[in-house]
Amino acid sequence: MFVEVVAPAPGSPPPRAARPPLGRRVVAGAQPYLYLAPALALLGVWTYRPLAQTVQLSFYSWNLLPSTPMTPVGLRNYQRLIDLPDLGQAAVRTVVVIVGLLPFSVVIPVLVGLVTRQVRDRARVVYQAMVFAPTLVAPVASAAVWQWLLDPGAGVVNKVLGTRLNWLHETGSAQFAIIVITGWSVLGFATLVVSAGLAGINGDYGEAAQLDGASRGQITRWITLPLLSPTLVFLVLMTVLLSAQWTFPLIDTLTQGGPARATTNVYYLLWDYSFHSYDAGLGAAAGVLLFAAFGLVAAGLVRLSERLSFHDD
Amino acid sequence: MSRIQIESASKRFGEVTAVDRICLDIEHGEFLVLLGPSGCGKSTLLRAIAGLTPLTEGRIRLADRDITNIPPRDRDLAMVFQSYALYPHLSVERNIGFPLRARRRSRAEIQQQVRDVAEILDLTELLARRPRELSGGQRQRVALGRALVRDPGAFLMDEPLSNLDARLRTATRSELTELHRRLRSTFVYVTHDQVEAMTMATRIALLDHGRLEQVGSPTEVYDQPASTFVAGFLGAPPMNLLDAQLVSRAGRLHAVAPGVDMPLDIAADLPTREVVLGVRPEHLSLTGANPVLHGVVRLVENLGSEEVAHLVVGDTRVCLRGQRPLSLAVGDAVGLHSAPRHAHLFDRASGRRLVWRDDHAQVPTAPAELDLPAS
Ligand SMILES: Nc1ncnc2c1ncn2[C@@H]1O[C@H](COP(=O)(O)OP(=O)(O)OP(=O)(O)O)[C@@H](O)[C@H]1O
Ligand SMILES: [Mg+2]
Repeated sequence: MFVEVVAPAPGSPPPRAARPPLGRRVVAGAQPYLYLAPALALLGVWTYRPLAQTVQLSFYSWNLLPSTPMTPVGLRNYQRLIDLPDLGQAAVRTVVVIVGLLPFSVVIPVLVGLVTRQVRDRARVVYQAMVFAPTLVAPVASAAVWQWLLDPGAGVVNKVLGTRLNWLHETGSAQFAIIVITGWSVLGFATLVVSAGLAGINGDYGEAAQLDGASRGQITRWITLPLLSPTLVFLVLMTVLLSAQWTFPLIDTLTQGGPARATTNVYYLLWDYSFHSYDAGLGAAAGVLLFAAFGLVAAGLVRLSERLSFHDD
Repeated sequence: MSRIQIESASKRFGEVTAVDRICLDIEHGEFLVLLGPSGCGKSTLLRAIAGLTPLTEGRIRLADRDITNIPPRDRDLAMVFQSYALYPHLSVERNIGFPLRARRRSRAEIQQQVRDVAEILDLTELLARRPRELSGGQRQRVALGRALVRDPGAFLMDEPLSNLDARLRTATRSELTELHRRLRSTFVYVTHDQVEAMTMATRIALLDHGRLEQVGSPTEVYDQPASTFVAGFLGAPPMNLLDAQLVSRAGRLHAVAPGVDMPLDIAADLPTREVVLGVRPEHLSLTGANPVLHGVVRLVENLGSEEVAHLVVGDTRVCLRGQRPLSLAVGDAVGLHSAPRHAHLFDRASGRRLVWRDDHAQVPTAPAELDLPAS
């Protein structure tokens, strides 16, 4: 007689352990949120509350004096912004600053990063410290130093170049000087970011490409730069969003937006409306528009960077 | 033709000598496997052939051309990396076509050749995908495709199967062998897996601590291991090695030790000599006339079709492998039998194999092997 081999018997589930009391479960569930609470509170108090207040303020007219009341004006502040030529001009100058800074924040760092890839060990540490140093100098201090260097009479820059330019007080050169000085201080940071990005690329790809017969230039163009593109997009994003902020301390110390508004970018304009012209409502309206515009640009660039990251595994 | 000659190649990293004066002559069309334990210098030697690691000393020739100082891109070699190194931002099609693109071939030609290779490797459906959308086995085939597409002088492979699961590895192994048979091109293949080496190689080069221990066909290295290292590396479980003394008794040689008395079937009268006696686990049996080893069973392992018994003979662990059931229990004292022709002898000090040469007969032996001095 054949007897079928019996399959191992499935077990019945053991009795479930009693659930902990409700109070304990609530405490356990709340724990992660409690850890997050301080950071969230700071974010709320210092970022989102002022943002909401700015939006609110943009519908009022107010001269910043506690004694004068705020008068609601509806969309009039926005109407004025659109009617005045200031904002458009400042926006164009901001674009000039961004484009002018891209060589310092992207192009030169990539070139330096590629060339110095072979530098190793202690030499690498020394070179990185040297490149990074300008980033550590406080902007106001560097502004003071550059003021001396660019002095029309005794300044080193004029002596070396053999020019007699009044760099910071001529419309043509002031913006250029601001861009170069900002670029000088951003360069080191950007170079470190590029070096880190290059170091993060698995060396096997370059070796495989060598054996596949690719020349150095081909490897750089076809392998290294595409794999570096998330880093590059990050740097572009930083430049687009922060250029106007990076230049602010220099503009405020060196040119105050002049001469003839030649260095007034959108951030400086905002500051000018609110704290020089005491037109808080107008400043707030400009701030709201800026926030929206930069938000859109940032969203676009973040989408792009997600498309470009290749999950290297 | 793509003969690869490695002439006294050495590579030192500071204090570490990763490759130590290796000489190898790899004929055109060979499937040479570099085999050895982890850290023995296999990858370093392969990378030196590829040109990725410059040699400290020595010379490498490819098809009679000295390539020691030629950059990798001009060496006409294709390499499959352990990590596969597929370019993550390129599709399978562009990955496979990359070597042709670097050589500035026309678009139509690249496309045609990529299609042909994809056909062979069964990748046609996957050409549009990115590497991260592929399984391990598919990535492995894409890496192979990138090597195949340009018909290189030789293929270099660094543990290309080690990231695959056991079944896929077995399947891919036979595919590679098939590919080699069809292409008739030279393969240099690095692995630490002796099964891969035994099944795929036309010749195996065994490395230990950067030195070449033995070069030979799989049969040669298994049946006549040139040293105790080779004997103890190949086989599962590897050859049993017992310290013994070579003594002459009534005009015949025996290897003796506590629990060991192995007649060698050699008529000679020699002074006593310290040797290592080697016997493969599958050459020991429980039946026979005169037991040569006496031991006590310590452990019995069931491999399904066979069983492996671990015994202690004297104070050495000895394995016996045979058909199930061996009918042994832990604690049993048993006698093990083996034929004299299954005995391997090694010099105790140098670890090199000893072969018997009659004084009168002209028996040629490999030059690396030590001769046993006859009286
Ligand atoms: N770049 C390096 N710098 C210093 N030592 C190295 C370097 N590369 C390899 N070595 C050393 O050289 C020896 C051989 O390394 P190799 O990578 O060739 O071993 P392997 O046989 O491929 O081992 P595995 O099977 O683990 O891959 C090792 O001792 C290793 O530590
Ligand atoms: Mg290795």
